Amino acid sequence: MIFVGIVITLLGFVISVSSLGMTETTGGRMAMVLAGIAVSLTGIFGFINAKYLKNANWRK
Amino acid sequence: MKKIRIMKKICVALIVLSALTSIGMLFAQAPAPAAAAAPAAGSPPPASAPITDAELKGAVVPTDRSNGDPSGALTGTATDITASDAAKGVTLKDVLDQIGANRIGVNFGWTLLCGFLIMFMQAGFAVVETGLCRAKNANHTMMMNFMVYGVGMLAYWLIGFPIQMGGVGAVANLGGIGVLNAETTVHLFGKDFGIFGNVGYFLVHRGSYDVAVMVVFLFQMVFMDTTTTIVTGTCAERWKYAAFMISTMFLGAFIYPIFANWAWGGGWLATLGANFGLGHGYSDFAGSGVVHSVGGITALAVGMIIGPRLGKYTRTGKPNAIPGHDITWVLCGCFILAFGWFGFNPGSTLALSGAGGLRAASVAVNTMLAGMTGSFGAVLYMWMRYGKPDASMGGNGFLAGLVAITAPCGFVNPVSSAIIGLVAGVLVCISVEFIDRVLKVDDPVGAISVHGANGLWGVIAVGLFADGKSNYGGSWNGVAGGVTGLFYGDAGQLVAQLLGVATLLGFVFVLAFVANLFVDWFVGQRVSAKTELQGLDIPEMGALCYPDFVLKPESLSSPTGD
Repeated sequence: MIFVGIVITLLGFVISVSSLGMTETTGGRMAMVLAGIAVSLTGIFGFINAKYLKNANWRK
Repeated sequence: MKKIRIMKKICVALIVLSALTSIGMLFAQAPAPAAAAAPAAGSPPPASAPITDAELKGAVVPTDRSNGDPSGALTGTATDITASDAAKGVTLKDVLDQIGANRIGVNFGWTLLCGFLIMFMQAGFAVVETGLCRAKNANHTMMMNFMVYGVGMLAYWLIGFPIQMGGVGAVANLGGIGVLNAETTVHLFGKDFGIFGNVGYFLVHRGSYDVAVMVVFLFQMVFMDTTTTIVTGTCAERWKYAAFMISTMFLGAFIYPIFANWAWGGGWLATLGANFGLGHGYSDFAGSGVVHSVGGITALAVGMIIGPRLGKYTRTGKPNAIPGHDITWVLCGCFILAFGWFGFNPGSTLALSGAGGLRAASVAVNTMLAGMTGSFGAVLYMWMRYGKPDASMGGNGFLAGLVAITAPCGFVNPVSSAIIGLVAGVLVCISVEFIDRVLKVDDPVGAISVHGANGLWGVIAVGLFADGKSNYGGSWNGVAGGVTGLFYGDAGQLVAQLLGVATLLGFVFVLAFVANLFVDWFVGQRVSAKTELQGLDIPEMGALCYPDFVLKPESLSSPTGD
């Protein structure tokens, strides 16, 4: 799950950078960059942090 | 309830007052009649005859200083210009050399002095973090903040500086001759993407033994050290000292320098404007993103790996408050940091003479204002929400305002600075609650919120509030004109800033997380439960910070001593 989280977080960065080559409009680039940020946040909070919360010391 | 009603009335009064002031300012800023603005077009410039060497010799008249110079009028005159050849006397070239040396000397002095101020921020971080921790961990927390200076500097001197600045080229304000000139690039979407520099190892490699390079190194080193000290706050009270040392090495040698190269060293983020037409490229005047977000995001990564302190959460996941041991240290530390920030932000002009150096005054005032409104925002938020003006959150709001204005301070006006700081003050409180209650990442000092969240807000604020009035030598990041945000007509600048945010979240987080997973595998990030309950001072450091204090006993059944 941590590995998946890392890949998804990195994927968000790749989506954002890809906006530079995939479109030339400011609006299109902004939409892609925002989508990339959302994907990265999903990777960090939805996968990596979720995995650590599952095994947190306060649950034991 | 009565107090809350009074607070709400105060807030409404403040909002009305702010609105009236803003309206007043709009009228006050109405343009003046154009007639008096400039000389008539086509009129010749005032004539000025070239100065000759003979005239210069006549100007150098020795003055009688036998009775001293109590007024100061006789000191620092033409007689202090040194002739390069005594036989020829003072020549025009001597005078011009002296003017050039004075300009660069002023800029060297300013940048070095600001670097010294930033170095003193280490003391501020040390006492803020220690004050927010329990007394049983005070020695350990202080020692992390102490050694972060040396460990970070060593890593940066050996590896980090060349990666960050090895391809930056000449820094005009510091008179450099461009020995830092090798940037490794990759070709993507038809453009060169600068990835890392590679000149300047040990500060002797390929001509880097150079006075201008030394100034750049000192100033950039203290920035990097600020980043490394952010992580120690989040991981305080349970971080194994050996793990802290190795993690800090990674941060100072690779994680910080790579992003700093992309933003400040001529890397791909800085060239988004020149290559892709996105405003002036990613613009971060003094490091909301480069310094504070990198530190805050690394702190988030390590904080997840290391886990919360024992007793921070109940079995149902409800957070317990673990108060620090010395609020005096916390607030004094905030003032030390605010003092150091006058090196951080105004010093980032790298000049007082030429190329926008005088704008340091505007940068300093913007910094003050945002700190002030940041503390107001946090104190009012806490007062309204919890009925008390919380001291530690007041301090965090102050710092949050300063963090948020660090990127925009060179590009925005004072009203925007006040708004940016106010938003930061409220944002830090909401972010602390979110991280504490929803993410359940234990952050004893609120560093992720102060530096991470507000660093990102500062980066975005450039893309919104930059007013296009700044002028640092006619261009910024190779694009002519001043940096202009969305509210002043350039949406492309906001896209460049958001790309910086995406890089921080998507790339810097991953780099920091993977590096610290390696540290966890190599030495283990966290001390044992027994060590944590006892306090880290004796097991990790061998001495108590306060040997005369009677410490509260703790056990696994009541780890916070409650």
